[in-house]
Amino acid sequence: MSKLLKGNFEPKKPVNAPAPTPETLEGRFEREAMKRLGGSIAYVSKKKVMWDLKKKD
Amino acid sequence: MSHRRTDGGSVGRALVQRMSGLTWDRHGPMALANAERNRALLHHGQSIAALRDAAIGIGDSAITIASGPSVARRDPGATIRASGYRGALIAADSAFAYCLRHGLVPDLVVTVDPHPTRIVRWFGDPALDTSRPGEDDYFRRQDLEPRHEKEMRANDETLELMRRHGKGIRIALSTSASEAVVRRVIDIGMDIYWWNPMHDDPDLPESVTRRLFAANGMPCVNAGGNVGTASWMMAHAVLGKSEVALVGFDFSYYADTPHERTQYYKEAVALVGETNLDDVFMWVHNPHLDLWFYTDPAYMWYQSALLDLARDADCRTVNCTEGGIVFGEAVDFQPLASFLARHGR
Repeated sequence: MSKLLKGNFEPKKPVNAPAPTPETLEGRFEREAMKRLGGSIAYVSKKKVMWDLKKKD
Repeated sequence: MSHRRTDGGSVGRALVQRMSGLTWDRHGPMALANAERNRALLHHGQSIAALRDAAIGIGDSAITIASGPSVARRDPGATIRASGYRGALIAADSAFAYCLRHGLVPDLVVTVDPHPTRIVRWFGDPALDTSRPGEDDYFRRQDLEPRHEKEMRANDETLELMRRHGKGIRIALSTSASEAVVRRVIDIGMDIYWWNPMHDDPDLPESVTRRLFAANGMPCVNAGGNVGTASWMMAHAVLGKSEVALVGFDFSYYADTPHERTQYYKEAVALVGETNLDDVFMWVHNPHLDLWFYTDPAYMWYQSALLDLARDADCRTVNCTEGGIVFGEAVDFQPLASFLARHGR
């Protein structure tokens, strides 16, 4: 695949993009912890009950 | 125990702003999958619309009871029972067994959380086996219901309570409820009233809530993030009660509660480490009691949502928890005895 995806031009300026940083162990813990945070169910501001699709309370 | 630091909680406060999104990530798809599965079981009950302005309980008041840590310390069940209160009693699922143990039969039980294994415990879990390695220690750790430390015994007691008293008790059963909860509620023989929790603003054109309504036809109720607030919402927005008392709505922990007995202790440690927990927990002074309580991001989000919803509610909300952090412009903070003196026997 890499053979097929060769660039077909030379950039005028050299590209110095930073290499992607590998996720740290700490970062992975944080991401996993965030997945387990949260309430029971969503909360919608300023609404009570929707009895039908037309009329909203 | 937490160290009181009013300058702490910076991580916690940032997380409060993200709780809505985090809640959706954690439970949204699960709630919708449960709703889809529950469509085949809707015939076991009827729509919550059948309870709209129904004459449940005598008078125009209601008590909604949740299971915050004040319940173990204040024992409001005994006070309610002794008062002979005959208004509507609405119990969050987590307070259902507590009510029955105090000889109080709720007029309505409410459940909403879609968790696949935890919530059924409030109804007694016939399949509970704590001998399995890695079993969820959620109930053993919590300060909410100390009796759950001895899990098997507590579960056996709950099973027996439900067998003796559960049949025929009304339940506002959210379509988001897990298969285990729905099966258990049907097995107990409870009187089922279905509703959809709002997942987003139903006025939005691509609203998930609207799609849910179109699929199953059940009214959509704003649950305010948790079953306690959902119970309060049922009291005034469905039953039409004009004065609603909150009991067991702490949304916080007593100052002497060890961190490890709080609901998100493990997650908090994973986020900031054991030594930085004061960055996650937030301290709040309750001026009515002149006491300090500490809270976590989820509870703080619940408190903020409830105060916001109470401002727009067509009822007077009276917090009779006698602890915790739910007080503000639209919520009167009173002893339970004062409420019962107005609405008791």
